[in-house]
Amino acid sequence: MLLQKQFFGHESVMMLSKELLYISRSNISTEINKTGSWRFLTPIYQLKSSPCTEKCPLSQDISRIEMLVSKGKFKEAIDLILLENPFPSVCGHVCFHTCETACNRKSFDEPVGIHSIERFLGNIAIAEDYKLNIPIISFNGKNIAILGAGPSGLGAAYFMRILGYNCDVFEIKKEPGGLLRWGIPAYRLPDLVLRKEILRIESLGVKIHCNSKETVDSLKKSGKYDAIFIGCGYGKPVKMGIDGEDLAIDGLEFLYKIRNGENTDIGGHVAVIGGGNSAIDVSRSLIRIGATPIIFYRRRIEDMPAFKEEVEAANVEGVEIRELTKPIRIEKDSEGLVITLNNNNTFKAQHVIKAIGNEAENHWKLLLDSKENFSKFSRTVLVNNHLPIVLGGDLVNPVKSVADAIASGKQAAMVLDSFFNHREVTNSMDIYTGGDRKNRSKHITSIEEINLDYFEFSPRRDSEIEEAKRCFNCGICNDCDNCRIFCPEISVNFKDNKRSINLDYCKGCGICITECPRNAMGLREEA
Amino acid sequence: MRQVLEGSHAVSEAVRLAKVQVVSAYPITPQTHIMEAIAEFCANGKMNAKFICVESEHSAMASVIAASAAGVRTFTATSSHGLALMHELLHWASGARLPIVMAEVNRALAPGWNIWMDQTDSLSQRDTGWIQLYCEDSQEVLDTTLCAFKLAEAINLPVMVVLDAFFLSHTYEPVDVPEQNEVDKFLPPFLPRINIDMSNPCSLYQMAPPNFYMEMRYSIFRAMEETISKFLEVEEDFYKVFGRKYGILDSFQCDDAEIIIIAAGTTASTCRQVVLDLRETGEKVGLIKIKMFRPFPKKLISDALSNAKKIAVIDRNCSFGVGGIFAQEIKSALYKNKNMPTVFGYITGLGGRDVTPKMIEEIYFKTKEEHYPEKESIWFGINYELFRN
Repeated sequence: MLLQKQFFGHESVMMLSKELLYISRSNISTEINKTGSWRFLTPIYQLKSSPCTEKCPLSQDISRIEMLVSKGKFKEAIDLILLENPFPSVCGHVCFHTCETACNRKSFDEPVGIHSIERFLGNIAIAEDYKLNIPIISFNGKNIAILGAGPSGLGAAYFMRILGYNCDVFEIKKEPGGLLRWGIPAYRLPDLVLRKEILRIESLGVKIHCNSKETVDSLKKSGKYDAIFIGCGYGKPVKMGIDGEDLAIDGLEFLYKIRNGENTDIGGHVAVIGGGNSAIDVSRSLIRIGATPIIFYRRRIEDMPAFKEEVEAANVEGVEIRELTKPIRIEKDSEGLVITLNNNNTFKAQHVIKAIGNEAENHWKLLLDSKENFSKFSRTVLVNNHLPIVLGGDLVNPVKSVADAIASGKQAAMVLDSFFNHREVTNSMDIYTGGDRKNRSKHITSIEEINLDYFEFSPRRDSEIEEAKRCFNCGICNDCDNCRIFCPEISVNFKDNKRSINLDYCKGCGICITECPRNAMGLREEA
Repeated sequence: MRQVLEGSHAVSEAVRLAKVQVVSAYPITPQTHIMEAIAEFCANGKMNAKFICVESEHSAMASVIAASAAGVRTFTATSSHGLALMHELLHWASGARLPIVMAEVNRALAPGWNIWMDQTDSLSQRDTGWIQLYCEDSQEVLDTTLCAFKLAEAINLPVMVVLDAFFLSHTYEPVDVPEQNEVDKFLPPFLPRINIDMSNPCSLYQMAPPNFYMEMRYSIFRAMEETISKFLEVEEDFYKVFGRKYGILDSFQCDDAEIIIIAAGTTASTCRQVVLDLRETGEKVGLIKIKMFRPFPKKLISDALSNAKKIAVIDRNCSFGVGGIFAQEIKSALYKNKNMPTVFGYITGLGGRDVTPKMIEEIYFKTKEEHYPEKESIWFGINYELFRN
């Protein structure tokens, strides 16, 4: 009874008589009232997945990266990228950012400029000559041979090295990079960026052998390797199957020449056949060497598989696109070439460049015909006849893009490692190696789960920090502290940079969850 | 300094002069001008107050309750539906014994939507434990608002200053706006009895079980009783500085009056003229203006009416099922009178309908000529034509 009296502690207040001012006031702490006993739902800190990460072929922890950038923690953000992607600046330049298409913020105002923030971070890492600070497993004694130093081969080498393998990369050309080096024009991807990011991979101890003549058979015979990865890029042009096709120059070859600093001897009107990124790359490169490109595309402009931004840029630069046209014959005359189109019109040009697509070399395709000991993964194929061989890159990747190619190499690393170590293959190296992200819920936060009261409409910002602040940080905690501030029972504790809930007092009201702007909490029913 | 102000701005000026520290309100016609001016004062530095924007009147009252419990002088204003929405927290404010001051602009409740003058909104809140003071003109609005802070803080109960929609809130009149140093003489800085002191933590308003609760209600009841004398003290203090006072009741020409009209708000002002006009023709008529409705000054009323033969109460409100609310309260106050006057209860001027001098005159003569009221509540000025098919 004494306790109750102290707790209820009703008293009058000075200067007015007790009879005139009698209220309930107590100097005894309310701690004796363990409101936790009222609880039938328990809040938990439950980080969730974000749609951008889900859509990123490399499963980069985007919401957390943006959160770190918004706080100026660039180094931590770079580490977080490098855990999942060896090419932040390359991707920041050329990736077509499916993340932004998935961004929850797009239904609010505009998606976050994830792509430019990634480029910003990648460039800082290059400019500062940033030393990798991610866990790297020491050599485990196993050797891996990698054929092809394109994005998938280099990706495979990087991630295999992280997982403890010794990697030799064999490249037929004189410099590594594959399509990144020889296929993408320098105005889109500066040389320095690629060189520096490849150097970072080499700094881990990955050896790249250029001008190599090694083949699958020669590697097998050498007996030096425990597994082989083949980065099966699309390097062979597809045939149009029309008369006079030989008169057309291959688009990749043209781009190679330019990237190799050769004189192309091309000028005047140039017909570019195709509607993909190569066709645009070729056309924009032609503009840069003073030629006049005209794109002939068999479908409508809006059907072009090239990235929209690239098509727009080509337009701005003066590239003419003729839709719903395709050549049916190419002939030579005294002035140059005459192209007969499907509408029976003819077009005179000095040159024709075909960029209708490429495919893998036949001997790689043959490997896929193997029926035995063949396991198919989302981006790779494992063939295991005495020696495990993983095929990656464009040949087996559903989407042919730089990020997808790197992701294929990453998956190959996990496929081979799990072959030796029996672990579950995922998209994220952090999850694969049992990092913090393993504890996150697979649930993808939707915009309905974001508390939009905490966000203001804002167009994209020029400053990366300001732009990163626009990110909802879907599903992750950014230390906003709302859960602690709004808890009516003061039952959220913050100690050693970690929040915890004092269940003696948490009554399960769920205010913390409602006030969490980014769905980083959840309610669990009491058992 | 004498200025031409609308009633709303008379409130705003008083709030500024009272150096209120926290203001929170949600706009509603006809209260809006009050808060607009205060918001400007806060924005341009004329007031050093925190203006809390909220999403409803319920939250506005909650905000000032919290601020007041933290120990600062607070103010809010509302009207009609806004007041109705506050209802729960009106009980809380008085139960918590917080000296909050609120301006209440008398406006009708919907449906039919009606933004005009009607007393039903404030009178519906008569049991919430708020002191209610009704004003007749803009000067009285300003003076009463200043007094309201002193009274609330003296007695630890919230005060509602009530003014008629448009007739008062939107009508311009000359008003003497006092100087700050004079106001400071009358109204010192707020010294809270109840406040949150971080150096001496306490919990306020926790659970009160049956063995404590009733005493708390008794305490409010007793404080209300003390309010009558405390109000007179406050008015006396005000009078010393500013030379103006209004009284709990204002008896006008009542000494030899046989028939006394009772009204509140701007209607009382109209009645004064009618009384003077009728006096000139030899009628023995007087007026009592009721300023304080809560606590209801029963003793003062019964004394003031002890010699009257008939009373005509003008109610611009209705408690459905009973009648005019002022009339009820007055009848109850007269219960112990030896010479019980006959009370004529008139319900008129609802929803902003004018109560003209001619109507008041008619009310007077009807009261004079009829021996006994035909009905307990006489609806005066009903247009029965509207009911015809």
